[in-house]
Amino acid sequence: MAEYQKQLPAVTASNRPFWEAARRHELVVYRCAGCGACNTTGAGCTCDGPESAWVEARGRGQVFTFCVYRQAFHPAWQGDIPYNVAYVKLDEGPLLITNIVGCGNEDIYISMPVEVVFEDISGQISLPKFRPVKVIDG
Amino acid sequence: MTIRNKYAFAGVGLTRLGKVPEMTPDELATQAICLALEDAGLKKDEVDGYFYQPGIGGGLSDTMPLQMAGIQAPLVWQAPSLGSYALVMVAQAIGAMEAGLCRTCVLVHAASAASRRPVMSGPPGSGNTPGAYGWYGPGATAACMARRYQHLYGLTREQLGSVALTLREYSNRRPEAIMYEKKLTMDDYLNARMVIEPLCLYDFCLVNDGAAALVLTTAERTRAGRKRPVYVMGYGVDHSLREMGGAPEAIHHFDGFVTARAGEQAFRMAGVSLEDIDVAELYDAFTIFLLSQLESYGICKKGEAGDFVAAGNLRRDGRFPSNTSGTGLSWGYLMGFTQLTEGIRQMRGEGGDCQVEGAEVCLVTGLGGTVENGSAATCCILGK
Repeated sequence: MAEYQKQLPAVTASNRPFWEAARRHELVVYRCAGCGACNTTGAGCTCDGPESAWVEARGRGQVFTFCVYRQAFHPAWQGDIPYNVAYVKLDEGPLLITNIVGCGNEDIYISMPVEVVFEDISGQISLPKFRPVKVIDG
Repeated sequence: MTIRNKYAFAGVGLTRLGKVPEMTPDELATQAICLALEDAGLKKDEVDGYFYQPGIGGGLSDTMPLQMAGIQAPLVWQAPSLGSYALVMVAQAIGAMEAGLCRTCVLVHAASAASRRPVMSGPPGSGNTPGAYGWYGPGATAACMARRYQHLYGLTREQLGSVALTLREYSNRRPEAIMYEKKLTMDDYLNARMVIEPLCLYDFCLVNDGAAALVLTTAERTRAGRKRPVYVMGYGVDHSLREMGGAPEAIHHFDGFVTARAGEQAFRMAGVSLEDIDVAELYDAFTIFLLSQLESYGICKKGEAGDFVAAGNLRRDGRFPSNTSGTGLSWGYLMGFTQLTEGIRQMRGEGGDCQVEGAEVCLVTGLGGTVENGSAATCCILGK
């Protein structure tokens, strides 16, 4: 198998639980026990509340905004043109940079309901991506 | 004790803009510094503060331009290459002068993007979370802003195109502009290749070489100079960090909170209001940035900037003459130095065929940031 030419997530001490969960095909968010605000980077909360903790996320959200690359800015993405990059707003609140899969670029729209899927790109890393959902339960 | 009008720009130096492969970034910066001192009528040994910003393409090597120009400034301060930073450099220089560290500062930006085109090529497997999803360059931020704006308020390609055309008309009348005499029609705009949808080639700023240097000193010292001083009336800075947790919509000024706060600070310090602004130089790395700022500074209501620009209001005879050199989209991209340079010229009456008659107060803005760090907005008000 050819070497993976693209870049990988920058895994650090703070966000390692996020990427370890992704490897298990689980989506987690770092939730503040004080105000309930969530992020996916492991950053501290601004509310001075008690400790935050990683908790499982619902894996659902909506497309907040997106764009479609018609020109590659990095050589490893040349073969993917045209490809989309989106901000998905998770039900828990945070925005995630991701790709929308499972539909054409022309079918993506803002507020489109999406759910997480995981793309295994190496033995260690799986990327959370999002695909359209037809029906939202709950 | 107020800062208002206590410091002023005394000199402007500008090299040729465009593709200048025969000069290194250090040489471009050196030339700009020498031109700025000549313009100011100040001597080299009067410069004791040096603030520099390596532009797109990089290659500026710390104090080398100072050495080449023969200047021995004791205070040297490098600024990050972000669109908000030219105006932060103004705040830094004034702060240093207030502290008594220096009295005459040279602010420099040198770009080499045309000759040393930056390549985003993190090696395979290296860590870059946005890059892992193919997110490269600030164009994606602008494209995502435009898509969001379109969704919230409606936005036609013709409205975005009217920003590009308005600025091109200005640059067509400025001999030093990269797009001098190079016309752009709406057909050209609508048929241009898409770069990152929904933005096309003409929604992006220029890719060029060139340098600008500005001399900033005490108002007292400028009075002995060759040119009419251009006073710093006020400035403001803000950052979206506080929104990144609670209200993610504000990331990348999607809703403009950051810009509004920078403006409030600057206007308060300057003691003027929006009605006093005669001419504006708004940060324009992308067409959509202009629409966003017109609304967040309160020049237009939310959702009305597209119509406002299409109706010709940014033209010299419009309600809010703006970006009078053609700025980053059509004159030359030197990050925030593009706007500051033109703002100073307008206050001096040196705007040539684009001079706004009788202009006495100018709004200059900056905007920058990264996906990870949120966005920063800066604002400065100049007066004659």
